[in-house]
Amino acid sequence: MATATMALPNAPLRYTAPIEAELDYLVASFATMPGLAVYPARWLAIQLLEGDETLLAEAEQLAGPALTEALEASMARLQPHYGDELDVALVDQRYRFVHALAGKSLTRPAVPPLTLSDRIDQVVTHRWLGIPIFLMLMWLVFTLTTEVAGPFVDWVDDVIAGPLSGWATALLSLVGLGETWVEGLVVDGMLAGMGGVLVFVPVLLSLYFALALLEDSGYMARAAFVMDRLMHSLGLHGKSFLPMIVGFGCTVPAIYATRTLDSQRDRILTGLLVPFMSCGARLPVYVLIAAIFFPAQAGMVIFGLYVTGIVVAIGSGMLLRQTVFRGQPAAPFVLELPPYRLPTPRGVWNQMWERTAAFVRKAWTIILGTSVVVWLLLAIPVRGEGSFADAPLEDSAFATLAGGVTPIFAPLGFGSWETSGALMTGFVAKEVVVATLIQTYAVDEEEEAHEATSFGEDVLGIVGGFLAATGDALLAIPGIIGFDLAGDEEEEATPSGLRGAIERGFAASSGGHSALAALAFLVFVLLYTPCMVAVAAARHEFGPRWMWFSIVGQFVIAWLGALIVFQGGKLLGL
Amino acid sequence: MLHQVLHAFESADGPLALDDLSRQLGIERSALEGMIAFWVRKGRLQELGGACGQAAGASCTCSSHPAGCSITSAGSRVITLKA
Repeated sequence: MATATMALPNAPLRYTAPIEAELDYLVASFATMPGLAVYPARWLAIQLLEGDETLLAEAEQLAGPALTEALEASMARLQPHYGDELDVALVDQRYRFVHALAGKSLTRPAVPPLTLSDRIDQVVTHRWLGIPIFLMLMWLVFTLTTEVAGPFVDWVDDVIAGPLSGWATALLSLVGLGETWVEGLVVDGMLAGMGGVLVFVPVLLSLYFALALLEDSGYMARAAFVMDRLMHSLGLHGKSFLPMIVGFGCTVPAIYATRTLDSQRDRILTGLLVPFMSCGARLPVYVLIAAIFFPAQAGMVIFGLYVTGIVVAIGSGMLLRQTVFRGQPAAPFVLELPPYRLPTPRGVWNQMWERTAAFVRKAWTIILGTSVVVWLLLAIPVRGEGSFADAPLEDSAFATLAGGVTPIFAPLGFGSWETSGALMTGFVAKEVVVATLIQTYAVDEEEEAHEATSFGEDVLGIVGGFLAATGDALLAIPGIIGFDLAGDEEEEATPSGLRGAIERGFAASSGGHSALAALAFLVFVLLYTPCMVAVAAARHEFGPRWMWFSIVGQFVIAWLGALIVFQGGKLLGL
Repeated sequence: MLHQVLHAFESADGPLALDDLSRQLGIERSALEGMIAFWVRKGRLQELGGACGQAAGASCTCSSHPAGCSITSAGSRVITLKA
């Protein structure tokens, strides 16, 4: 084997004269300390001047007090030159040396070649294009969510309202509980309440699919980056948008994410803004109401609500910065943008599953529990002649309780006991708003006649319905970009039997301006307290005083926002 | 050079991407990382997040939060001046 020897030119690193003088002095001193022979003398001198305390302790054990004396003498002589930043000077000179050396020995292109990530970033993080691109992508996400999930929502609703309810009724009849209040509790309370929320699982799966694609591709970090820039230019702490973007999913981790901010003031300020970012739990309410009142523009309405949340958060932040949290705007920061990647099917599925599973778990626990309580309160008559589970809903304890707060919502166009009650229970969790609306509006609807079917027919119907929904969903995708392959078929992402009842209810409470009242209702749902768990998180992070400030502030803003929408819309003749 | 990095943080007009800072200062990205690490050790800069950034990707979850969460990887690595 042939070998070759190669001599590389020496490029000795020389520090500035005062440092070199002290290094020479220390090297000479160390030569008189035999215990230190284990270390390269110049290296040891540099490390000790840089303040390596661990090494100093080791060296002192080997060399004794003479080492400390020599070092202190050197430091004292260097103090006039470098003050307390001797270590900075040493490290800086090394970087300068390496930088100069690399500059001389490496040949680089005058303009570094751009990677694919760089090229994409030039567009998506562009000063002027970045925010429109972010908004366009979010619009696409919500349109995709509503259009593609719509047929599956109908399918799940048909399964719950048809075969599942039928099986539950048949089972109860078998054990002698048919036609009793137990059947009402199971079918009208538990299945209607919890099922009404589970109907929206396809919507959430679609949303989380789209968000997982954006997230895993690396785009979300860019979204945070462009929004940071906007917020900073408005005098807000740019880093606030990082927790706020987490709030698109769930307010609770977003509140905990405020810990990434530097000061307690910034943390509290961001914690107050985070609940305005529309969390996933509000989406079922948007889909339900938007599909009833704005079927052709449901995606746009939902997108508008998300943007409204961002605008209200930024506006509230600016107001709070000028008043309660007056102070200097925080310093800017540097963000690492991960390279773009192709999302993996497994990664996307994991995210969809994890988040949707959390939603389903909530349906089994909080929503089921609340639905049972609401059903019981609806079943207990407090006036009139009715008996338990056999009385007009207007006479129920729930209607009486909800009626007590109805006047608050009357100026907003949705001052009925049904909507007031739904907003009250929505304080527990936003999905409960849907469950309560279904219980209060749909229970007094005449039950749709279902033909008696066998178990096998039910199963075939479920499978056939799923296949049909899949076909409809695929046909809906081209419609997003303007190619309507689904024809004029009406899309109804609304549980059956509800549409008419809710429309009539909103029309009655708004004096005929039902669409305006519905929009005001959505704005209220967007802006008031997200859920009890978020309240508990706010208390844990910021204390009871700020928790109450947050609850009251959000209620006032939600009320004013809904008032502006409803009364403003009426003034404009809408 | 080290002070140049600190000065860039102090005088930036809005958030900066790490690669942009590297180009702006004419410092190799790897060298810049070392300089940032030095200032972090000195307590002049602080580094936050990043667990859900470059490496973790889809495996980055929020299972520690009982209510679940979304858009976890928005928690990119952030470097800022220490107050």
